[in-house]
Amino acid sequence: MRFVHTADWQLGMTRRYLGARPAKEAGGPTGEAQARFAGARLDAVRALGRIADDAGAAFVLVCGDVFESNLVGPDVVARACEALASFRTPVLLLPGNHDPADAACVLRRPDFARRCPPHVTVLDTPGVHEVAPGVEVVAAPWRSKHPLTDLVGEQLAALSPAPRGTLRVLAGHGELDVLDPDDDEPARIRRDGVLAALRDGRVHYVALGDRHSAWADAVDDRIRHAGTPEVTDFDEVDPGHVLVVDLDEHAARVRTETVGRWRFVRHDAALDTDDDLDALDVWLAARPDKERTAVRLVLRGTLSLRQRTRLDDLLAGHGHAYASVEVLEPHSDLATVPDDADLDALDLHGFAADAAAELFAAAAPEQGDAEARDALRLLHRLVTP
Amino acid sequence: MRLHRVRLRDFRGVHDREVVLAEHGVTVLQGDNEVGKTSTVAALDLLFDAADSSRRADIRHAQPAGVDAGPEVEAEVSTGPYRFVYRKRWLRRPSTELDLLEPTRQQLTGAEAHARVTAILDETMDRVLWRALRVEQHTAVGQADLGGQDALTRALDRAASGPTGPGTGAGRPDPAADDGLVARAVDELRRYRTPSGRATGELRAAEVRRAEAEAEHERCRAALEAVERDVVARDRLDAELAGVRARRRAHGDEVAALEDRWAALQSRLREVDAARGRAVLARERATSARERREARDALVAAVDADAATAAETAAALAVHEAEHVAARDVRDARRAADAAARAEATAARRAADAATRAVGAARDRAELADLAERLRRVADAEAGLAAAERVLAGASVDHDALAELEDLARDLLRAEAARDAAAARVELSAPGALTLVVDGEELTLAPGETRTLPVAGSRALSVPGVLDVRVRPGLDEAGRDDAVRERARELAEACEDLGVADLEAARAARRAADDAARRAGEHRSALARELVGHADAAALRAAHDAVRDRLEGLDAAGAGDDDLAALRAAADAARTAAEDAAVRADEADAACRAAEDAVRDADTRAAVLAERAADARHAHARRVEELRAARADEPDEALGEAETARRDRARDAEREHEALAAALADDDPDTVEARVVNARGVAERLAGEVARLEREHAETTGRLQAAGHQGWHDQLAAAEAELDAAGREHDAVTRRAAAARRLHDALTRHRDRVRRSYVAPFRAQVERLARIVFGPSLSLEIDEELRITHRTLDGTTVAFGALSSGAQEQLGLCARLACAALVDPADGVPVVIDDALGHTDPERLARLGAVFTAATAAAGAAQVVVLTCTPERYHGIGAATVVPLAPSRRPAERGAPVRDEALRPADDLPAAAPGTVLDLPRAPRAG
Ligand SMILES: [Mn+2]
Repeated sequence: MRFVHTADWQLGMTRRYLGARPAKEAGGPTGEAQARFAGARLDAVRALGRIADDAGAAFVLVCGDVFESNLVGPDVVARACEALASFRTPVLLLPGNHDPADAACVLRRPDFARRCPPHVTVLDTPGVHEVAPGVEVVAAPWRSKHPLTDLVGEQLAALSPAPRGTLRVLAGHGELDVLDPDDDEPARIRRDGVLAALRDGRVHYVALGDRHSAWADAVDDRIRHAGTPEVTDFDEVDPGHVLVVDLDEHAARVRTETVGRWRFVRHDAALDTDDDLDALDVWLAARPDKERTAVRLVLRGTLSLRQRTRLDDLLAGHGHAYASVEVLEPHSDLATVPDDADLDALDLHGFAADAAAELFAAAAPEQGDAEARDALRLLHRLVTP
Repeated sequence: MRLHRVRLRDFRGVHDREVVLAEHGVTVLQGDNEVGKTSTVAALDLLFDAADSSRRADIRHAQPAGVDAGPEVEAEVSTGPYRFVYRKRWLRRPSTELDLLEPTRQQLTGAEAHARVTAILDETMDRVLWRALRVEQHTAVGQADLGGQDALTRALDRAASGPTGPGTGAGRPDPAADDGLVARAVDELRRYRTPSGRATGELRAAEVRRAEAEAEHERCRAALEAVERDVVARDRLDAELAGVRARRRAHGDEVAALEDRWAALQSRLREVDAARGRAVLARERATSARERREARDALVAAVDADAATAAETAAALAVHEAEHVAARDVRDARRAADAAARAEATAARRAADAATRAVGAARDRAELADLAERLRRVADAEAGLAAAERVLAGASVDHDALAELEDLARDLLRAEAARDAAAARVELSAPGALTLVVDGEELTLAPGETRTLPVAGSRALSVPGVLDVRVRPGLDEAGRDDAVRERARELAEACEDLGVADLEAARAARRAADDAARRAGEHRSALARELVGHADAAALRAAHDAVRDRLEGLDAAGAGDDDLAALRAAADAARTAAEDAAVRADEADAACRAAEDAVRDADTRAAVLAERAADARHAHARRVEELRAARADEPDEALGEAETARRDRARDAEREHEALAAALADDDPDTVEARVVNARGVAERLAGEVARLEREHAETTGRLQAAGHQGWHDQLAAAEAELDAAGREHDAVTRRAAAARRLHDALTRHRDRVRRSYVAPFRAQVERLARIVFGPSLSLEIDEELRITHRTLDGTTVAFGALSSGAQEQLGLCARLACAALVDPADGVPVVIDDALGHTDPERLARLGAVFTAATAAAGAAQVVVLTCTPERYHGIGAATVVPLAPSRRPAERGAPVRDEALRPADDLPAAAPGTVLDLPRAPRAG
């Protein structure tokens, strides 16, 4: 039996560094890169749908967080439905922590129900669902944002071993306790219970969502996170995939298919010399697919006025090509300290020279007068038009 | 910069002229109006500024009228290390040529040449100062705008900071010293803040954007939270609804059991109520029977009381009747006393009247006697008066007539005298007695006697018988005699008219009349005396008659013994007696009236008492009738029996009710009722609870459904992104604004400091020059913009603007020349003064000459070029090179004398030296 395991589509997600537009026009993605990013998420859904169709999968199992929120707008819902309608393979949607099956659940909303293609099933009731002859999916949906129990463990405990000839896939959402040993979180999935259920044949595959990076359990690779099909954050490891699973009573053969096209890259750089600036320039110039790449820079070092101006120009120049280039201020430590060359470059005399000297003194590193440095940069600009 | 020579061709009115300027000191270009002095300066500006392709208005105006040639300017200039000859022609065959002589020979043409010269001037010359140090024609010599001049600033900087200070040895203009940098810093600051410090422009926009983003974010966050609260609320409502519904079902059974018990108790409650009703009714009836019996008792008592009252009133009436009679008796006695007193008073009054009349009669009689005497005297006087008046009436001669007679008599005497004097006289003398007849009369003449007879008329003398002599007068004598006769006739006629015989008779008549008049006057006086107090005699008589009549009306009694004093005493006594009697009569009257009042009061009281007695009688009668009727209706005994019977019945009914109520109370109906009521309330409350929860549930669900379409997540995401962006932008703009302010503050602070240091050397230089004009007591105040603000002279300080035009002009010139003296020779520019000092008097002009010399004395001091049509203004300049300018006309227009004039060099300078004008003859150019 073959199916496609995916999760965390996060449809309706926006990223602030992809640009903003005035809140008055809010509703739907904002900014040009934002809109392309939203489109890319839907493209990933279409792509995995094509893969499922091509592979002859029995169903696509989406393990939670189909939508970024239960409160996404009707336009997000409508586009999601359109993307789902672009393929034929049946789809099972599990409510996750972002779209729990509570009173506001988007998967129960009239606008979703109206547009939802017939091959889509919402697993908003916990328990066993027969999705095909001899194939059962055990759903552990989130019914509120803060469940007080291990939902997966709860389902597994209620099961008896599967009947002969029946394959059972558990669909859950959440972190395993081994991945995030947070004792205070009651909803952690107990790995021991999952391993036991696999051992005694209550289930044959545990499809999980919530972790945006793909992951397989080292002891039993039938416990898996599929990861998000399109990147959502800088700290994700190897996102952008879906899993095509061939399952029998004893084993799962898993093929990883790539559907994501965006990259979120963090880059740390030390900037002290013109050579460092050159290197940064080269690095930024060398990235492929810049229009689908968001770069987060962590910069450290000390620059002169002139170098700082060059850095600003350099970042502004590359910023136009990238979806986003931002300096992560809290983690950066970049000082601008005017040096003698800066003072000479101003070529000032008379009172202006006196004023400049005063500002230089104030801008010295030990003074830490950022305003004086800014004033000097402005003076630099006014003197050298 | 130094100008060596300037050549103009076909420039305005100048055909072709070259002016050579002194390299140092003052060059005075003098010439008449229109000769082209100002054109020389204008030409320099065009040469330096306008490209040869330019067709600016001032270039088109430079084209000479009616000549097919473009204006052309050539100048030899040295500036900085450069020396060059620069030539331009506009409009016709435009060209630009540069012949660079120093430091290295180089020749350029066209735009290249223009660019090179512009670069050289920008590098070596303060072009703004070049403009500022110029005084244009026809403009007041005011303050030069010197505050921002590079060259001057450098010079002052040098002067202020000494040879080792900053800014020395600058080889090229110092851009930072330019106020332009400050201006740019101000512009930068104005992008963010208004002059008053309010945020504006980008900063304001960033603040607004951030505030709006915060508001939007807050709105979205609140909405999202509201939705999340609703989600939680829905879960809670689901649970609560289930619980309340279960409780409601359980409670329903309990209510049904209690209701059954309560229904059974209620029928018994109704029985007790009926018994209580009966008891109450019986009690009410017993009460009414008792009340009826009590009313009868009261009626009987009232009859007795009424009888007593009637008896009382009758007794009172009787008692009063006796008092009434006594009062009437008193009244009658008083009335009699009153009548007696009144009669006495009347008698006394009559006696008094009689005494008074006796006194009056005695007085009348005395008066009557007096009046009778006066009447008699009046009659005497009237008789005398009548006699006198009769005499007067008979008198015909009045005073005037008598006077006339006297006059006539005198005239007759005069006429006789005249006749006698003139008449012939007959003198008769007889020696013995002789008798003769003269005119019929016998006349006897004694012997010796002579008689003279006037002959007035004819006279007849005769001695009887002897002789008859007729003497007749002549003619004259006859006339005089006629006059005498005439007068005598007149007199006689007048006497006859008056009725008198002659004058003597008239005089006697007159005397008799006067006597009668005197007597008449005496009688009238007597009459007036006697008639005093009366109109006339008749009135007097009437008074007399009235008195007499009065007396006749009286009794004759007492007549004769008229002792007035006695009579008066008797009258007084009688009057006193009458008054006493009147008082007594009044007292009796008052007593009588009091008695009358007492009787009237007694009458009234009797009437009241009678009425009361009647009322009491009637009341008693009615009450008796009422009692009788009541007893006929229901006897007293029947009332008593009814009272007793009904009281007994009421007691029975009350006992029955008490028995029933006690039986019911044993079953505790209150508790049962309270529990039923409570159970119903609980049921109601549960129903309400369910309804409320269902309503809230429906509302929450409705809100959640609506929220599903709002896309609050998307809105919040957009608002977060916008807030982040707005925050970043705001931070960035705030930083830029702070930097702009910091830079601006630093620059202006240092500039102001430097400027303050510039003021002192500049002021020293200006004062040095101005003291030559105004004297040693002068001092000046100069602000940081290097403008003269005040002048102090002899201890009096005046603002610059309040100075006279002449003083402003002189100070303005001193300031410019001070610049010329201050500025580094390498930086200096010529000071051009076009016909200034029109407001300066000759004394000051002479001193200004010294100023020019002092300002240009230093080696390397700037050139000064003065253009003037009134050279005497500048005669006082010792070091001046004077260049006379004459019209430079085209050969066809040129006259010989003008040419001689133009070619004559300045007094003591050789030709072709600085200060000459070469008016070059040449052939007209082609094209
Ligand atoms: Mn997720």
